[in-house]
Amino acid sequence: MAPMEVDRADGRTSNQLRPLSCTRNVLHRAHGSARWSQGDTIVLAAVFGPKAGTKKEENPEKASIEVIWKPKTGLIGKVEKEYEMILKRTLQSVCLLTIHPNTTTSVIVQVVGDDDRPELSLIQLEVQMIIKNNSSIIRAFLALRITHVMGLRTPQLLPCAINASCAALADAGIPLKYLAVAICCGLTGSRSVILDPTKIEEKVFSYSCMLYLLVDYFNCLDRGYAACAKISEFLRRSMESQAPSDLTKTT
Amino acid sequence: MPIMEHKSMAWRMSVNERKFIETALASDLRVDGRRPFDYRRLNIKFGREDGCSEVQLGETHVMAYVTSELVQPYRDRPNEGILAIFTDFSPMADPSFEAGRPGESAIELGRVIDRGLRESRAVDMESLCVVAGKLVWSIQVDLHIIDNGGNLVDAANVAALAALLTFQRPECTVGGDNGQDIIIHDPKVVEPLPLVIHHLPISVTFAFYNKGDIMVIDPTHKEESVMGGKMTATINSNGDVCAIQKAGGEGVMPSVVMQCIRIASVKAADITSKLKNAVEVYNTERALRKVKRHPSKMAHQVSVADITLEDKQVKDLPRHQAKMACQPYIGSSQDDEPKVDTRTSTNADGNSSGTHADAFVGGPSKWDPYPLRVGTSQVLGTLTVVKEEQVVSDDHRAVECSLDHTTTSSSGTVSVSDAMQKSNTSKSLKDAVKCLLEFFLPVTMDFWMTSVATEYWHFAVVKVIVLCAIRCLCQWLPSKLMKAL
Repeated sequence: MAPMEVDRADGRTSNQLRPLSCTRNVLHRAHGSARWSQGDTIVLAAVFGPKAGTKKEENPEKASIEVIWKPKTGLIGKVEKEYEMILKRTLQSVCLLTIHPNTTTSVIVQVVGDDDRPELSLIQLEVQMIIKNNSSIIRAFLALRITHVMGLRTPQLLPCAINASCAALADAGIPLKYLAVAICCGLTGSRSVILDPTKIEEKVFSYSCMLYLLVDYFNCLDRGYAACAKISEFLRRSMESQAPSDLTKTT
Repeated sequence: MPIMEHKSMAWRMSVNERKFIETALASDLRVDGRRPFDYRRLNIKFGREDGCSEVQLGETHVMAYVTSELVQPYRDRPNEGILAIFTDFSPMADPSFEAGRPGESAIELGRVIDRGLRESRAVDMESLCVVAGKLVWSIQVDLHIIDNGGNLVDAANVAALAALLTFQRPECTVGGDNGQDIIIHDPKVVEPLPLVIHHLPISVTFAFYNKGDIMVIDPTHKEESVMGGKMTATINSNGDVCAIQKAGGEGVMPSVVMQCIRIASVKAADITSKLKNAVEVYNTERALRKVKRHPSKMAHQVSVADITLEDKQVKDLPRHQAKMACQPYIGSSQDDEPKVDTRTSTNADGNSSGTHADAFVGGPSKWDPYPLRVGTSQVLGTLTVVKEEQVVSDDHRAVECSLDHTTTSSSGTVSVSDAMQKSNTSKSLKDAVKCLLEFFLPVTMDFWMTSVATEYWHFAVVKVIVLCAIRCLCQWLPSKLMKAL
């Protein structure tokens, strides 16, 4: 199946990502913080280092991670809880949990900007992938969105948040197994894969049938895999270039 | 069963630090080197959308977002809009802030700001009414405390004001078939309206030490944990006291309170001017952004090859990343300017190999209806280039050089000379006229484009006429001379 060139609203081809930017150590009180922006989607993540004690349902043999997701406006609802759950499971596989047993690390994610268009979008297959550095795929997460039931969601917030959280964890000095990066791929009605879709684009794409071929899914995975390699390189370079300016965080 | 022990992990100041701060204050010194009535550096930034502001007061960092929606009004105020302020003490600001239920200080902060904005009638509520008793605009201000470096009230107040000043609500009209429908116009079609704000209430916070003897403005986080009492005065630049908050703490003399209010009015004027400057800068930048430009055709930043990695793009990553890293925040559009500059400069140089470097640009593309102009403006710079072109072009160069005082439309002259060379063969008058027309037409277009653009069109017209005349003469003269001889 030949990939078809899709005309995107901001002039990108189907394989182009939006401009990436990462700054670490932006906050003074938090132990680690990072601000990650992909185009207009900006997420700020802060990490507070291991605190003693875990919740009742958590395993005291391991460190536990607590994620708090703060939306830009409005109160916390089910969508935020879902994001928290996904982020928590992802970060649990990224961190070395056995080093600090019986502790809690808090990760707080604040959405600073999203492509804010209050429009409901049409059916779209969304594949969000979280990939280890140039190696295996930790979690390829398929989310089928149906507009009028699920309501408004921005698909590119979660990958942005994952990238920001990993950068913040590295900034705080929490021991990690590896750095994870995430990308969002969308599948258009004409069955071509576009990387890093924005909210406006979802409005355009429609899907006539509900069947998604396995081929499409694997195509998505391949594209996303290549894109993640790029992002992980960017992350690595940004970490190497930024020397930590404030090494002491006593309070 | 181990339980969460966050409360015991709350930060406590050591006795040494406490004594140090108190002793320093007794001799009029502050730990960060400020004088007692000095504010920390105030930095106001705006986001890409309307009604989105980010304020940094020293280490304190607060973000404000303003949104609007149509709702039913309150029953006792049927023709007034609604202003709601939500404060969110994010756990990322301070480890002692807990997610979920807001604590005492969060509620107090929300109340102080609310009182300053709503009850002092700073924001005009009646202009938010659409249909009295049925539909009004509800403005919601979300304040996110991101970093607690002390004096959250002042920073949050400035953030809320900045966001309200730059917020624009969509225009809505009552119309439709039955005259009862509310039509909300798209902000891109109809210009949205700003809020009506009568005055700017600025809050100024004081901290008291040593039983009210010592007072400082804008306490930092450490100074706040040592202070005996706190007072917040909300004053506008006219000197009107909008609100005063002194909730508990040590008792102070009334004279001290009056002195604080006097100092606060001075500080409020200062902060108001800073706020207004920042808002003005943002408004001009927003107006510039609204100018419609052609969509950028340049490839955007990181480009992923289909499945395989291309080496070219890997090499470009450090350059791209270096550029990105020094522009971490897209607050004002100052980063758009350098991007546009690089693009025009590379285009002017005709550097086609720099296309990957151009790929870093994300700003508006340059809009040039007269692409030929680039050539002439290049030429405008150097007279020698013009002369060289003329030397190369034709054998009437003596004529050309003597005539060509103006440097405009050298490209035009080149084409003229070409046309002249072509028509050298014709000898009769008719042919001469034909030739005139022949090269007049294509040349005119050139001249028109370039000359009109460069405003030297009258020179160009004169030049054309003179050139034609001379050409005809040159054709006739030899034949006449031959006849004469």
